[in-house]
Amino acid sequence: MTTVALLGNPNTGKTTIFNSLTDKYAYVGNWTGVTVEKKLGQIKNSSVTLVDLPGVYSLNPLTKDEAVVTSYLLNNHPDLILNVTNAGQLKRNLLLTIEVLELGAPVILNLNMIDDLKRQGKYYDPSILEDWLGCKVKTTNARTHEGVATLKADLANLTADQTSSSPLLLDYPPMVKQAIRQATEALVQDYDMNHDFAQWLSIQYINKNKAVRRYALFHDLTPLRSQEKYYDAQDFEGQIFNTRFSFIERLLAAASQTISSANQVELTSKIDRVVTNPVLGLPIFAGIFFLIFKLSFDWVGTPLSDLLDSFISGPLSTWAEQFLTAAGALPVLRSLIVNGLIAGVGGILVFIPQIFVLFACISLLEDSGYMARAALVTDRIMQLIGLNGKSFIPLIIGFGCNVTGIMAARTIEQPKERLITTLISPFMSCSARLPVYSLVVAAFFPKHQALIVLSVYFLGIVVALLVAKGYQLLFGVSDSSVFIVELPQYHLPRFDVIWHGTWDKGKGFVKKAGTVIFAGTVLIWLLSSFSTHGYVTNSSQSFAASLGRQLVPFLAPIGITQWQTIAALFTGILAKEAITSSMMVMFHTSSQAVLISALGQFINPVAAYALLVFILLYAPCFATLGTIKQETGSTKWTIWSLVSSLIIAYGLSWLIFTIGSFLV
Amino acid sequence: MAATYTLSHFDRLNEATQERLHNLGLYEGITVALIQRYPFHGPVIIENEHQRIGLRYRVFTQLTGGSNQ
Repeated sequence: MTTVALLGNPNTGKTTIFNSLTDKYAYVGNWTGVTVEKKLGQIKNSSVTLVDLPGVYSLNPLTKDEAVVTSYLLNNHPDLILNVTNAGQLKRNLLLTIEVLELGAPVILNLNMIDDLKRQGKYYDPSILEDWLGCKVKTTNARTHEGVATLKADLANLTADQTSSSPLLLDYPPMVKQAIRQATEALVQDYDMNHDFAQWLSIQYINKNKAVRRYALFHDLTPLRSQEKYYDAQDFEGQIFNTRFSFIERLLAAASQTISSANQVELTSKIDRVVTNPVLGLPIFAGIFFLIFKLSFDWVGTPLSDLLDSFISGPLSTWAEQFLTAAGALPVLRSLIVNGLIAGVGGILVFIPQIFVLFACISLLEDSGYMARAALVTDRIMQLIGLNGKSFIPLIIGFGCNVTGIMAARTIEQPKERLITTLISPFMSCSARLPVYSLVVAAFFPKHQALIVLSVYFLGIVVALLVAKGYQLLFGVSDSSVFIVELPQYHLPRFDVIWHGTWDKGKGFVKKAGTVIFAGTVLIWLLSSFSTHGYVTNSSQSFAASLGRQLVPFLAPIGITQWQTIAALFTGILAKEAITSSMMVMFHTSSQAVLISALGQFINPVAAYALLVFILLYAPCFATLGTIKQETGSTKWTIWSLVSSLIIAYGLSWLIFTIGSFLV
Repeated sequence: MAATYTLSHFDRLNEATQERLHNLGLYEGITVALIQRYPFHGPVIIENEHQRIGLRYRVFTQLTGGSNQ
């Protein structure tokens, strides 16, 4: 089996190349570190496996995602490296190419986005590039599939004789060369290393590559480690950089050809003049996101979701009920399937249309190049709480669904900032919380419904910002943060790219509905259908009810005194939208009007507002917790997220209830 | 025509920022065009060789020696 590693800078269209070469999907994004998981694909009609590596600017990693590439090269030996570059930005892209060529593995240099280069009125002679660099050069324009077929054929027909190559060695200054030679010889002799690999390792070590220095420490490579101080004192890093850079400048000068430019008006500047305008930038950003929300939750997503909901809760439930009754299933099993699984998992599945529409919009913004601009215009605001512009988008998305919001936080480079964004995301009031707000405001604040709901949303934002500020102080996140965004050229979005992006983001949610949510549903159903005496048909005798009753003394200080509400809050951890339906079940009613009047008898408006605040903050839902676990890779942070929101919710509701009761 | 600035004083920045700037083709002595700046010391957009890059105001002033305020 032949392995080809796909490697290149961010924003080179690397993932689009991956998608058009293989028959498997991969995520498409425009920022560093989006391709987090290791992605493999099979090149169509061949035995060649393609490994998609995260986009990196150099082999010296700044973030964890970037370290993936270096450690891959340290520990694997791909048969070929396909280096994808942005032809319009070849000068800086070649810095990485040189690092790769020095390794000595066979390389195909792919000049992608060749149209962008031509638009600049330039072209590079591939044969000169091939001569100087000692590797094959292929030009493509992946967005229009231009040149992709030839590239694919080249990779599919990869044979053994093509997979041998010798490393590129630049004419470094004598002192550097000597240092490289000495270290290489010692490594070959004492550590039985392959010469080419030893040489590459030495260059990278001398060049202060953090990952390689860790590798040398781990493998105790004395020839390199003993000279570290000398290398750094002589600023070999700077000398290596200068040699590489002047090599590239000479190469590009030699290969450069002037062609008559298509004389196309600079589309990017034109769009940028509007969307990154200091005055209009923020309103445009707000407008675009308003549109996305309208599309996802009003115009397209919700009608589709409602349709799905009416099918699941209507015909599907009835049919299942009838089928199970006819088949003579036990009432317990019938209840598990109809009231537990179909109601629970179905209740989550109805969100799929909304989520997919939302993801499609986000993929569209990413593919067009707007996302980087959005991060830019919001950076100033986020800086105040120690985050950067890239955190803003995940939080906004969180208003739709916290799960998707947290997943969108992947694009944040700094691990701490990403963690903070993940931890504050659940305070964004997601759309699933809206039904229960509507219920409560209809019952207690009929005259000021919108105002009260808005205040709850606003409170969520304030809490999120305050908590973020707290984490900032706690973690000591300060000025050391890096916020430099590459603003790529705008491109007309392509349908297949958006579809890939949407599916890749959305399939995680579908998978979760089948696993975590499925398990959670069964658990909640057990709690509300069983008591110490076994199966109960009346939920007021269930475990959930008795648990609710026991918790009344603890929640009384914040104004929640009915066990029904408490039991409903438990189901809310499964899915927020379940709170309303659980309340109906617990209060033995099937009509919202009855429930509203029932609620009104029990509590006063102050307690009702405290309840709203508690619902807003008390716990991330099951799916969100699962996502936090998956994205942080830490059970500790997942539990902390649950515990901290519970504490904050309790504290704030208590304050509101206490002060409110005093005033009213 | 947009104003141009020469970038220098890279050594004033932290290592990660320096490296990222290098990665994006910005080096000591390079000339960039200022495309956009935002009020309240918000971010700055610069352009070099058809590449637009967004920076924080503080980094930009450090690179331009703080002379062109």
